[in-house]
Amino acid sequence: MDVATQLTGSFPRPESVVTATRDLDRGRTTPEATDAAFRKAEWEVAAIEQMLGLEPRTGGYLTWADIFRPISAGWGGFSVGPITRWFATNTFFRQPVLHHPPERKPGAIAAVLPAARGTAPASQAKVILPGPYTLACLLDNKSGETLEALAYRLGRLLADEVKDLHGLGYRTFQFQEPNLVVHPPAGPLAESVVTGYEAISSASHGSAVWIWTFFADAGPAWPLLARLPVSGVGIDLAETEPSSFRPLGAGQALGLGCVDPTTTLPEDPAEVVRLVLEAEKRVHPTHVMLGPGGPLDLLPWEPAQRKLEVLPAARKLLASHPERKA
Amino acid sequence: MTKKLFPTQEIGSIARPLWQLQVQQSRPLNERAVKEFNTWNERLHFAPKDDPTTLILSKGGGPDAGRVRDLSCLFGLRYFESAGLDRVYDGEARRVEMYEHAIRQMQGFEFLGHVRSFDNKYYRKAAGTGPVGLDHPYDVDEFEFVKTHAVGEPKVPITGPYTLADWSYNQHYLGKRSGWKSRAVRRDAQREFVVEIARQALRPTLKALIDKGCRVLQIDEPAAGTHPDEADLVAEGFNAATEGLDAEFTMHICFSEYRDLFPAILEAKRCRQWTWEFANRDTPERDGYAILDVFREYGDTRDIGLGVLDVHVDTIETPEQVADRIQRAAKRLGDPDRIWVNPDCGLRTRSLDVAYAKLTNMVQGAEIARGMFDGSSRR
Repeated sequence: MDVATQLTGSFPRPESVVTATRDLDRGRTTPEATDAAFRKAEWEVAAIEQMLGLEPRTGGYLTWADIFRPISAGWGGFSVGPITRWFATNTFFRQPVLHHPPERKPGAIAAVLPAARGTAPASQAKVILPGPYTLACLLDNKSGETLEALAYRLGRLLADEVKDLHGLGYRTFQFQEPNLVVHPPAGPLAESVVTGYEAISSASHGSAVWIWTFFADAGPAWPLLARLPVSGVGIDLAETEPSSFRPLGAGQALGLGCVDPTTTLPEDPAEVVRLVLEAEKRVHPTHVMLGPGGPLDLLPWEPAQRKLEVLPAARKLLASHPERKA
Repeated sequence: MTKKLFPTQEIGSIARPLWQLQVQQSRPLNERAVKEFNTWNERLHFAPKDDPTTLILSKGGGPDAGRVRDLSCLFGLRYFESAGLDRVYDGEARRVEMYEHAIRQMQGFEFLGHVRSFDNKYYRKAAGTGPVGLDHPYDVDEFEFVKTHAVGEPKVPITGPYTLADWSYNQHYLGKRSGWKSRAVRRDAQREFVVEIARQALRPTLKALIDKGCRVLQIDEPAAGTHPDEADLVAEGFNAATEGLDAEFTMHICFSEYRDLFPAILEAKRCRQWTWEFANRDTPERDGYAILDVFREYGDTRDIGLGVLDVHVDTIETPEQVADRIQRAAKRLGDPDRIWVNPDCGLRTRSLDVAYAKLTNMVQGAEIARGMFDGSSRR
């Protein structure tokens, strides 16, 4: 059984884009020149993905100001709020502020996907969006809705988004859900998360729907993760000990985040292989996908690129490993 | 000697004057920069009128960058002194910024490129790629210059070991450990990284500053709240950096969930003053000083550097607002003598005019508060 390898979040901006965007903010260059720098960099990310066998392609999501911005700036009911710390990192996002019930604007997200900018055909591109639970938890909710109702409502809206994107040819969707492990929901809130993903799953018409967790130990959330009606669940191996792995739900694949974005130290492919074998024994997934533990934009461009080399190396070792061949 | 009630102090950097920036960038001074220089010099008298550099700057020329850095320090010093602060520094005029400035003095680090902070804002991040070392202590010349020229008491801000480690990649000490880098392994390596920065770089620097006569040092740990479960490392780094040294050490922390740091942070034994941000969280709906109760809960009676100016807004706090904040804090602490008054954090993101207005009102606010708590009826 071959393992898949994919990027699982946004990629760092290269120095050329850093310079271009700074210059743009200071009035030293034009929006057109900045966009050209972005396009070149997006193609470079796509080329890295192709070279390392990371499929489907993401294009790096370099133009997105943060994971929430296409929604907070593009949908109704939202405004773009204050700078807020992105979990336990020294990076930040602008907190979405929800003033009224959210209103999806068809086409707002599709227009800003890297694939729409030409990095890959939609069918070979991966759509990465904020998960409804994480979005519901991290926004500033002035709408009057309860968290439970909001998580469900956002799930329904994202299901409509998935339906539209499926219509445009996209076949792989990943939802970033760090909050599922940082603050695992329980009781009725957990049920609203499950119901929201049921809506997303049925809207996907058989496309791959992944959720990706990071920034905390997935162990306590495992029973919920195994219940979610999704194609695969991603776990951050920097935070989760393999000893806390349990079987997943029927038909669920396992994503293993084996590239730690918080350190420049490259991972050892042999160690990754050892963890994959242990995980397979404990989880019995339909298949395994390897990727970064979380968005790689906690690293500068060069180290991020260098660290990704562990993915094809581990894949190659796994392909010829006697335990997996048997 | 009894210290006066509610003394005021600086806490970090201020905005760079345009004239300093333009000289640093080897650009001729534009009209705005010249006007800024002349206006502030009229106000603060930081540059002697007959100094050749002053004459050149006041006309928009391109003088010697080293002398301009000295003038920038004098500007920072007089800026705080004329606002009326008791403890002063130079606004960190000679430093790039608080992280890069310190790391560039050390051995064992390599800058790898930019990481996005948010939107189109980035910061340069280094990896610790070898054992931490130091050629020679840093900030000593800077302190000596300030000491020579200061009227107020100098207080040196210096970035702490935990923050320097947290804002770097720990490659060397993590790489020394075999096997998968689990959370437990990473934490152990981070502890070593923090302590080595403290012992090999911070402590020699603090010692050199103290040997030159520095009596008050503020260890800046803005990263302390990033990983609340590492508060013990913040304290351990502080203790390692200050081990065997005799001075008044304070610890600056800001924009954190302070309660999460307790009780581990209290193990920073040589810290005499907690210099923290409070005004940012003080709103009509919420008492930003309520968190001070935590010190009573844990029986900690050290001094408090009370943040009374929100450094993220241009609104100028009134003296009465400052006095009210001091009064509320004193009531919560039960002892007005423990309070020092300062901005929440460095005022670098505010314009020089706005920051100055805030500081002068802070000083007036402390004076009003002093009147509320005279020696015989402190309440």
